[in-house]
Amino acid sequence: MTPGPVADARTPASRFRHGLVAALPLVPGVAAFGLVYGVLARQAGLSLPATIAMSALVFAGASQFTAVSIWGRASGPLIVLTTLIINLRHLLMGASVAPHLREESRAWKSILAFGLVDESYALAISRYLQGEGSREFFLAANLALYVSWVLSGLVGGLAGGQVVDPGRWGFGLVFPLTFLGLLVPILGRPITAVVAAVSALVAVATAAWLPGKGNLVLAILVGSGIGAVLEGRWTSTE
Amino acid sequence: MDVYGVILGMALATYATRALAVFLLSRRLRPALERFLVHIPAAVFAALAVPPLLAPEGSLAPGLPALAAFLAVPIAWKTRQVFPTILAGLGAYWLLRWLVG
Repeated sequence: MTPGPVADARTPASRFRHGLVAALPLVPGVAAFGLVYGVLARQAGLSLPATIAMSALVFAGASQFTAVSIWGRASGPLIVLTTLIINLRHLLMGASVAPHLREESRAWKSILAFGLVDESYALAISRYLQGEGSREFFLAANLALYVSWVLSGLVGGLAGGQVVDPGRWGFGLVFPLTFLGLLVPILGRPITAVVAAVSALVAVATAAWLPGKGNLVLAILVGSGIGAVLEGRWTSTE
Repeated sequence: MDVYGVILGMALATYATRALAVFLLSRRLRPALERFLVHIPAAVFAALAVPPLLAPEGSLAPGLPALAAFLAVPIAWKTRQVFPTILAGLGAYWLLRWLVG
Protein backbone atom coordinates (compact mmCIF):
# COMPACT_ATOMS: atom_id res chain seq x y z
CA MET A 1 0.00 0.00 0.00
CA THR A 2 3.00 2.29 -0.30
CA PRO A 3 2.02 5.34 -2.31
CA GLY A 4 5.07 5.34 -4.54
CA PRO A 5 6.69 8.36 -6.15
CA VAL A 6 4.20 10.24 -8.31
CA ALA A 7 6.15 9.77 -11.52
CA ASP A 8 6.25 6.05 -10.87
CA ALA A 9 2.46 5.66 -10.93
CA ARG A 10 1.98 7.29 -14.32
CA THR A 11 2.30 4.31 -16.63
CA PRO A 12 -0.18 1.41 -16.72
CA ALA A 13 2.72 -1.02 -16.24
CA SER A 14 3.86 0.62 -13.02
CA ARG A 15 0.29 0.77 -11.70
CA PHE A 16 -0.01 -2.95 -12.49
CA ARG A 17 3.27 -3.60 -10.68
CA HIS A 18 2.00 -1.71 -7.62
CA GLY A 19 -1.03 -3.99 -7.58
CA LEU A 20 1.14 -7.10 -7.62
CA VAL A 21 3.31 -5.75 -4.81
CA ALA A 22 0.25 -4.85 -2.73
CA ALA A 23 -1.22 -8.34 -3.13
CA LEU A 24 2.02 -10.20 -2.44
CA PRO A 25 1.74 -10.22 1.39
CA LEU A 26 -1.66 -11.92 1.07
CA VAL A 27 -0.40 -14.79 -1.07
CA PRO A 28 0.73 -17.13 1.77
CA GLY A 29 -2.66 -16.87 3.46
CA VAL A 30 -4.57 -17.50 0.22
CA ALA A 31 -2.26 -20.34 -0.80
CA ALA A 32 -2.59 -22.05 2.59
CA PHE A 33 -6.36 -22.16 2.18
CA GLY A 34 -6.12 -23.13 -1.47
CA LEU A 35 -4.08 -26.15 -0.38
CA VAL A 36 -6.70 -27.20 2.14
CA TYR A 37 -9.46 -26.67 -0.41
CA GLY A 38 -7.65 -28.97 -2.87
CA VAL A 39 -7.28 -31.69 -0.25
CA LEU A 40 -10.90 -31.43 0.89
CA ALA A 41 -12.23 -31.42 -2.66
CA ARG A 42 -10.39 -34.63 -3.49
CA GLN A 43 -11.57 -36.23 -0.23
CA ALA A 44 -15.14 -35.22 -1.13
CA GLY A 45 -14.77 -37.29 -4.30
CA LEU A 46 -14.14 -34.62 -6.92
CA SER A 47 -11.73 -35.55 -9.70
CA LEU A 48 -8.53 -33.52 -10.04
CA PRO A 49 -9.81 -31.69 -13.17
CA ALA A 50 -13.10 -30.87 -11.41
CA THR A 51 -11.21 -29.65 -8.33
CA ILE A 52 -9.17 -27.24 -10.46
CA ALA A 53 -12.10 -26.26 -12.67
CA MET A 54 -14.03 -25.14 -9.60
CA SER A 55 -11.16 -22.92 -8.46
CA ALA A 56 -10.59 -21.52 -11.94
CA LEU A 57 -14.26 -20.84 -12.75
CA VAL A 58 -15.78 -19.99 -9.36
CA PHE A 59 -12.82 -18.37 -7.55
CA ALA A 60 -14.64 -18.03 -4.23
CA GLY A 61 -12.94 -19.57 -1.21
CA ALA A 62 -15.78 -19.69 1.29
CA SER A 63 -18.27 -21.00 -1.28
CA GLN A 64 -15.90 -23.69 -2.50
CA PHE A 65 -15.16 -24.88 1.03
CA THR A 66 -18.89 -25.08 1.72
CA ALA A 67 -19.61 -26.80 -1.60
CA VAL A 68 -17.07 -29.59 -1.07
CA SER A 69 -18.16 -30.05 2.55
CA ILE A 70 -21.75 -30.78 1.45
CA TRP A 71 -20.79 -32.42 -1.88
CA GLY A 72 -22.68 -35.67 -2.45
CA ARG A 73 -25.08 -34.97 0.41
CA ALA A 74 -26.73 -31.86 -1.06
CA SER A 75 -28.38 -31.58 -4.49
CA GLY A 76 -26.75 -29.56 -7.28
CA PRO A 77 -29.30 -26.73 -7.17
CA LEU A 78 -28.90 -26.48 -3.39
CA ILE A 79 -25.12 -26.13 -3.75
CA VAL A 80 -25.61 -23.39 -6.36
CA LEU A 81 -28.12 -21.60 -4.12
CA THR A 82 -25.74 -21.83 -1.15
CA THR A 83 -23.00 -20.32 -3.31
CA LEU A 84 -25.29 -17.45 -4.26
CA ILE A 85 -26.10 -16.70 -0.60
CA ILE A 86 -22.48 -16.89 0.56
CA ASN A 87 -21.42 -14.45 -2.17
CA LEU A 88 -24.18 -11.89 -1.62
CA ARG A 89 -21.68 -9.71 0.23
CA HIS A 90 -19.85 -9.20 -3.09
CA LEU A 91 -22.96 -7.42 -4.37
CA LEU A 92 -22.25 -4.71 -1.78
CA MET A 93 -18.54 -4.63 -2.58
CA GLY A 94 -19.38 -4.33 -6.29
CA ALA A 95 -21.74 -1.46 -5.48
CA SER A 96 -19.02 0.27 -3.48
CA VAL A 97 -16.40 0.03 -6.22
CA ALA A 98 -18.86 0.71 -9.09
CA PRO A 99 -18.56 4.54 -9.03
CA HIS A 100 -14.80 4.17 -9.56
CA LEU A 101 -15.31 1.91 -12.59
CA ARG A 102 -17.93 4.16 -14.21
CA GLU A 103 -15.62 5.28 -17.01
CA GLU A 104 -14.22 1.84 -17.79
CA SER A 105 -15.29 -0.22 -20.82
CA ARG A 106 -17.63 -3.21 -20.56
CA ALA A 107 -14.68 -5.55 -21.08
CA TRP A 108 -12.75 -4.03 -18.17
CA LYS A 109 -15.83 -4.14 -15.94
CA SER A 110 -16.46 -7.79 -16.84
CA ILE A 111 -12.90 -8.86 -16.12
CA LEU A 112 -12.52 -6.86 -12.90
CA ALA A 113 -15.88 -8.14 -11.61
CA PHE A 114 -14.81 -11.75 -12.20
CA GLY A 115 -11.79 -11.31 -9.94
CA LEU A 116 -13.53 -9.28 -7.23
CA VAL A 117 -12.86 -11.20 -4.01
CA ASP A 118 -12.75 -9.92 -0.42
CA GLU A 119 -9.00 -9.27 -0.49
CA SER A 120 -8.66 -7.71 -3.93
CA TYR A 121 -11.73 -5.52 -3.38
CA ALA A 122 -10.19 -4.31 -0.12
CA LEU A 123 -6.84 -3.48 -1.73
CA ALA A 124 -8.43 -1.78 -4.74
CA ILE A 125 -11.00 0.31 -2.85
CA SER A 126 -8.31 1.47 -0.40
CA ARG A 127 -6.26 2.67 -3.35
CA TYR A 128 -9.28 4.43 -4.87
CA LEU A 129 -9.98 6.13 -1.53
CA GLN A 130 -6.39 7.41 -1.51
CA GLY A 131 -7.01 8.86 -4.96
CA GLU A 132 -4.47 6.51 -6.52
CA GLY A 133 -6.73 3.69 -7.65
CA SER A 134 -6.66 2.34 -11.18
CA ARG A 135 -7.99 -0.53 -13.23
CA GLU A 136 -4.43 -1.84 -13.67
CA PHE A 137 -3.85 -1.94 -9.91
CA PHE A 138 -7.20 -3.70 -9.38
CA LEU A 139 -6.48 -6.20 -12.19
CA ALA A 140 -3.03 -7.03 -10.81
CA ALA A 141 -4.39 -7.61 -7.31
CA ASN A 142 -7.13 -9.87 -8.73
CA LEU A 143 -4.66 -11.76 -10.87
CA ALA A 144 -2.11 -12.36 -8.10
CA LEU A 145 -4.79 -13.80 -5.82
CA TYR A 146 -6.38 -15.79 -8.65
CA VAL A 147 -3.11 -17.47 -9.67
CA SER A 148 -2.29 -18.23 -6.01
CA TRP A 149 -5.73 -19.69 -5.43
CA VAL A 150 -5.80 -21.93 -8.54
CA LEU A 151 -2.20 -23.16 -8.20
CA SER A 152 -2.47 -23.93 -4.48
CA GLY A 153 -5.73 -25.78 -5.15
CA LEU A 154 -3.89 -27.84 -7.75
CA VAL A 155 -1.08 -28.66 -5.31
CA GLY A 156 -3.60 -29.58 -2.62
CA GLY A 157 -5.51 -31.73 -5.10
CA LEU A 158 -2.31 -33.54 -6.07
CA ALA A 159 -1.31 -34.00 -2.41
CA GLY A 160 -4.68 -35.70 -1.96
CA GLY A 161 -4.76 -37.60 1.29
CA GLN A 162 -1.89 -35.72 2.95
CA VAL A 163 -3.27 -33.70 5.84
CA VAL A 164 -2.44 -30.01 5.75
CA ASP A 165 -3.24 -27.74 8.67
CA PRO A 166 -2.59 -24.05 7.98
CA GLY A 167 -3.86 -23.22 11.47
CA ARG A 168 -0.66 -24.66 12.93
CA TRP A 169 1.43 -21.75 11.70
CA GLY A 170 -1.19 -19.13 12.26
CA PHE A 171 -1.60 -18.38 8.55
CA GLY A 172 -5.31 -18.16 9.20
CA LEU A 173 -4.45 -14.86 10.88
CA VAL A 174 -3.30 -13.30 7.60
CA PHE A 175 -6.91 -12.85 6.51
CA PRO A 176 -8.17 -10.80 9.50
CA LEU A 177 -4.81 -8.97 9.78
CA THR A 178 -5.12 -7.84 6.16
CA PHE A 179 -8.44 -6.15 6.81
CA LEU A 180 -7.22 -4.76 10.12
CA GLY A 181 -4.27 -3.20 8.30
CA LEU A 182 -6.67 -1.52 5.86
CA LEU A 183 -9.21 -0.50 8.51
CA VAL A 184 -7.07 1.03 11.25
CA PRO A 185 -5.54 3.84 9.12
CA ILE A 186 -8.99 5.17 8.12
CA LEU A 187 -10.42 5.11 11.67
CA GLY A 188 -9.29 8.70 12.32
CA ARG A 189 -12.60 9.99 10.97
CA PRO A 190 -15.31 9.76 13.68
CA ILE A 191 -18.12 8.59 11.36
CA THR A 192 -15.85 5.89 9.92
CA ALA A 193 -15.00 4.69 13.43
CA VAL A 194 -18.71 4.44 14.27
CA VAL A 195 -19.43 2.56 11.02
CA ALA A 196 -16.62 0.09 11.75
CA ALA A 197 -17.64 -0.43 15.38
CA VAL A 198 -21.29 -1.05 14.48
CA SER A 199 -20.38 -3.37 11.62
CA ALA A 200 -17.97 -5.41 13.78
CA LEU A 201 -20.51 -5.63 16.59
CA VAL A 202 -23.32 -6.80 14.29
CA ALA A 203 -21.04 -9.30 12.51
CA VAL A 204 -19.92 -10.89 15.78
CA ALA A 205 -23.33 -10.77 17.47
CA THR A 206 -25.15 -12.44 14.57
CA ALA A 207 -22.43 -14.89 13.49
CA ALA A 208 -24.06 -17.79 15.30
CA TRP A 209 -27.56 -16.93 14.01
CA LEU A 210 -26.82 -16.06 10.41
CA PRO A 211 -24.56 -18.68 8.86
CA GLY A 212 -23.44 -18.62 5.23
CA LYS A 213 -21.86 -15.18 5.76
CA GLY A 214 -25.35 -13.70 6.25
CA ASN A 215 -23.95 -11.94 9.30
CA LEU A 216 -21.49 -10.06 7.06
CA VAL A 217 -24.24 -8.87 4.72
CA LEU A 218 -26.29 -7.63 7.68
CA ALA A 219 -23.25 -6.01 9.32
CA ILE A 220 -22.25 -4.15 6.14
CA LEU A 221 -25.83 -2.96 5.52
CA VAL A 222 -26.36 -1.75 9.10
CA GLY A 223 -22.88 -0.21 9.42
CA SER A 224 -23.03 1.66 6.10
CA GLY A 225 -26.67 2.62 6.74
CA ILE A 226 -25.76 4.27 10.03
CA GLY A 227 -22.83 5.96 8.29
CA ALA A 228 -25.20 7.35 5.63
CA VAL A 229 -27.60 8.68 8.28
CA LEU A 230 -24.80 10.30 10.29
CA GLU A 231 -23.29 11.77 7.13
CA GLY A 232 -26.67 13.22 6.12
CA ARG A 233 -27.07 14.95 9.49
CA TRP A 234 -23.50 16.19 9.43
CA THR A 235 -23.85 17.85 6.03
CA SER A 236 -27.38 19.22 6.66
CA THR A 237 -26.31 21.02 9.85
CA GLU A 238 -23.24 22.55 8.25
CA MET B 1 -26.95 -32.05 -12.40
CA ASP B 2 -23.55 -33.51 -13.21
CA VAL B 3 -20.34 -32.32 -11.56
CA TYR B 4 -19.51 -29.70 -14.18
CA GLY B 5 -23.11 -28.51 -14.26
CA VAL B 6 -22.89 -27.74 -10.53
CA ILE B 7 -19.52 -26.02 -10.96
CA LEU B 8 -20.87 -23.93 -13.83
CA GLY B 9 -23.93 -23.00 -11.77
CA MET B 10 -21.68 -21.96 -8.89
CA ALA B 11 -19.55 -19.90 -11.28
CA LEU B 12 -22.60 -18.09 -12.69
CA ALA B 13 -24.06 -17.45 -9.22
CA THR B 14 -20.75 -16.04 -8.04
CA TYR B 15 -20.22 -13.89 -11.12
CA ALA B 16 -23.76 -12.51 -10.85
CA THR B 17 -23.12 -11.21 -7.32
CA ARG B 18 -19.85 -9.60 -8.38
CA ALA B 19 -20.88 -8.07 -11.71
CA LEU B 20 -24.48 -6.98 -11.11
CA ALA B 21 -23.79 -3.80 -9.13
CA VAL B 22 -20.69 -2.94 -11.16
CA PHE B 23 -22.84 -2.78 -14.31
CA LEU B 24 -26.08 -1.41 -12.79
CA LEU B 25 -24.53 1.46 -10.83
CA SER B 26 -22.68 2.93 -13.78
CA ARG B 27 -24.72 6.14 -13.96
CA ARG B 28 -24.75 9.15 -11.61
CA LEU B 29 -26.21 8.11 -8.28
CA ARG B 30 -28.56 9.84 -5.85
CA PRO B 31 -26.71 11.58 -2.99
CA ALA B 32 -28.36 9.34 -0.38
CA LEU B 33 -27.04 6.24 -2.15
CA GLU B 34 -23.59 7.81 -2.51
CA ARG B 35 -23.54 8.49 1.24
CA PHE B 36 -24.36 4.82 1.83
CA LEU B 37 -21.77 3.49 -0.62
CA VAL B 38 -18.85 5.52 0.74
CA HIS B 39 -19.16 3.77 4.09
CA ILE B 40 -19.18 0.23 2.71
CA PRO B 41 -15.36 -0.15 2.73
CA ALA B 42 -15.00 0.53 6.47
CA ALA B 43 -18.01 -1.70 7.20
CA VAL B 44 -16.56 -4.49 5.05
CA PHE B 45 -13.08 -4.27 6.60
CA ALA B 46 -14.52 -4.40 10.13
CA ALA B 47 -16.95 -7.23 9.33
CA LEU B 48 -14.16 -9.33 7.80
CA ALA B 49 -11.46 -8.54 10.38
CA VAL B 50 -13.24 -8.80 13.71
CA PRO B 51 -15.32 -12.03 13.74
CA PRO B 52 -12.40 -14.42 12.95
CA LEU B 53 -10.50 -12.80 15.84
CA LEU B 54 -13.20 -12.49 18.51
CA ALA B 55 -15.52 -15.33 17.51
CA PRO B 56 -13.55 -17.86 15.43
CA GLU B 57 -16.16 -20.60 15.90
CA GLY B 58 -19.21 -18.35 15.77
CA SER B 59 -19.62 -17.55 19.46
CA LEU B 60 -17.56 -15.00 21.39
CA ALA B 61 -14.23 -16.64 22.34
CA PRO B 62 -11.25 -14.29 21.99
CA GLY B 63 -7.89 -16.01 22.39
CA LEU B 64 -4.28 -15.60 21.32
CA PRO B 65 -5.17 -14.52 17.75
CA ALA B 66 -7.27 -11.66 19.13
CA LEU B 67 -4.49 -10.58 21.48
CA ALA B 68 -1.89 -10.78 18.70
CA ALA B 69 -4.08 -8.69 16.39
CA PHE B 70 -4.63 -6.16 19.17
CA LEU B 71 -0.86 -5.81 19.51
CA ALA B 72 -0.61 -5.19 15.74
CA VAL B 73 -3.06 -2.24 15.84
CA PRO B 74 -0.43 0.43 16.72
CA ILE B 75 1.75 -0.86 13.89
CA ALA B 76 -1.18 -0.57 11.49
CA TRP B 77 -1.90 2.96 12.73
CA LYS B 78 1.72 4.09 12.44
CA THR B 79 2.74 2.45 9.16
CA ARG B 80 -0.72 2.67 7.48
CA GLN B 81 0.29 -0.41 5.50
CA VAL B 82 -0.94 -3.99 5.29
CA PHE B 83 2.35 -5.87 5.16
CA PRO B 84 3.86 -4.57 8.45
CA THR B 85 0.49 -5.22 10.10
CA ILE B 86 0.53 -8.85 8.97
CA LEU B 87 4.15 -9.30 10.08
CA ALA B 88 3.49 -7.69 13.48
CA GLY B 89 0.36 -9.78 14.05
CA LEU B 90 1.98 -13.08 13.02
CA GLY B 91 5.13 -12.23 15.02
CA ALA B 92 3.08 -11.43 18.10
CA TYR B 93 1.08 -14.64 17.64
CA TRP B 94 4.21 -16.83 17.36
CA LEU B 95 5.74 -15.10 20.38
CA LEU B 96 2.58 -15.57 22.44
CA ARG B 97 2.32 -19.22 21.44
CA TRP B 98 5.95 -19.72 22.47
CA LEU B 99 5.38 -17.95 25.80
CA VAL B 100 2.22 -19.94 26.55
CA GLY B 101 3.97 -23.12 25.52
